[in-house]
Amino acid sequence: MSVTLILGTAKGAFLATSDKDRSAWTVGDPLFKGWKVTASARDDGGRYFVATASDVYGPALHVSDDLKKWRQIEKGPAWRQDLDRKLTQIWTLHPGPGRFYAGVDEAGLFASDDRGETWSPVEGLNEHATRSNWSPGNGGLCAHAVLVDPKNTLRVWCGISAVGVFRSDDGGVSWHIRNKGIPAVIEDKQHKDIGCCVHGLVADPDDANTIYRREHNGMFRSRDGGDSWQRIENGLPSWFGFPIAMDRRTRTLFVHPMESDEYRMPVDGQFRIYRSRDGGDCWEPLTNGLPQDGAYMGVLRSAMDVDHLDPCGVYVGTTAGTVYVSNDTGDSWTQLPCTLPRVLSVSVFNDG
Amino acid sequence: MGKVTIELPSVLDAVVDGNRTLSFDAETLPGALAALTKRYPGLAVHLFDETGGFREHVLCFHNKINTRWLESIDVPLRDGDTITILQAVSGG
Repeated sequence: MSVTLILGTAKGAFLATSDKDRSAWTVGDPLFKGWKVTASARDDGGRYFVATASDVYGPALHVSDDLKKWRQIEKGPAWRQDLDRKLTQIWTLHPGPGRFYAGVDEAGLFASDDRGETWSPVEGLNEHATRSNWSPGNGGLCAHAVLVDPKNTLRVWCGISAVGVFRSDDGGVSWHIRNKGIPAVIEDKQHKDIGCCVHGLVADPDDANTIYRREHNGMFRSRDGGDSWQRIENGLPSWFGFPIAMDRRTRTLFVHPMESDEYRMPVDGQFRIYRSRDGGDCWEPLTNGLPQDGAYMGVLRSAMDVDHLDPCGVYVGTTAGTVYVSNDTGDSWTQLPCTLPRVLSVSVFNDG
Repeated sequence: MGKVTIELPSVLDAVVDGNRTLSFDAETLPGALAALTKRYPGLAVHLFDETGGFREHVLCFHNKINTRWLESIDVPLRDGDTITILQAVSGG
């Protein structure tokens, strides 16, 4: 089966398409040239969505049914004028199951019920009682991770940097902080349960209560929907990193550890993806085909994805503009024939 | 009512279907901008922020005058006037 990657960079999106073995690749010319491409997704109906942003011209959301002709959504996520907030970029697009959610900076969650044509703010989260105490992290004050329980789409999780994880059990009406067991990065004077800097979230596809949390201060797992969290760092070379991905067929996890929040580089210049086949109990380094000497590029939080095929394909874009792909669950890697601008987001779509 | 020209930067090319030089009949600068965003609704979010004013790094020139120098952009237009949208460029 062939796959298509949308590689979102600081200067546009690039489509990479594979042959049926996922071993030969073609990389196209830039789409949205000059724009940051911060997120992309495809809904169940096959419609593609791409979020763009510009430091000059702001954010926008675009749709396409064929990856060729794109249309900008006129009424995308937007803050009301009276709220004195600026929407600088869309961090994540989550087109189902259930409602279509978009997480944004300045932090907030928006929802659409018409395939992204119109959006409404998720007030229960956006106007949470702790909001006035939310503080931005290095990447801004951003809602960048959304999980939805496929068996009960009223249960929704949202990760916000540097605030923490919130869960709603009523379809987004009310939200509850779920940071128990997570050390705060910056403890809030008033609300002791925020100030946690979540970097990424994935959940078991059959058990939404099992959640894996890439956190500023480590790697964590919850077995109770986020009510409590435990460290799972056995085998990791450091506690810091951003992206996390899970193959839903085998539950294999992938992360990219970096040396501390101060340095944010691969440990010892060795670019390694780490894999866990046992739900995070143990991690092993993947090196075959990845640069193991003098490699100091990072991987941003949205720049890794998996295709869920058999065997699983893994796709990693770096801040140096290189893209590494594996068609065998990370056992071996090759580099795509391109050097792109800084890679911000990677999304993979199975072409059938 | 004057016939004025609006020029847009290349980065916004796709938003206006490639029509980066446009003509409008308008009496005032706000009137011309309103006509522009009515024809291309997707353009509004790129020119204006949540305050309703121009985004911080978007510049609007009326002929040779940077409208940021004006107390108000509510200026009358005359036949042949040109409105130019640019992005502020600094650094190197």
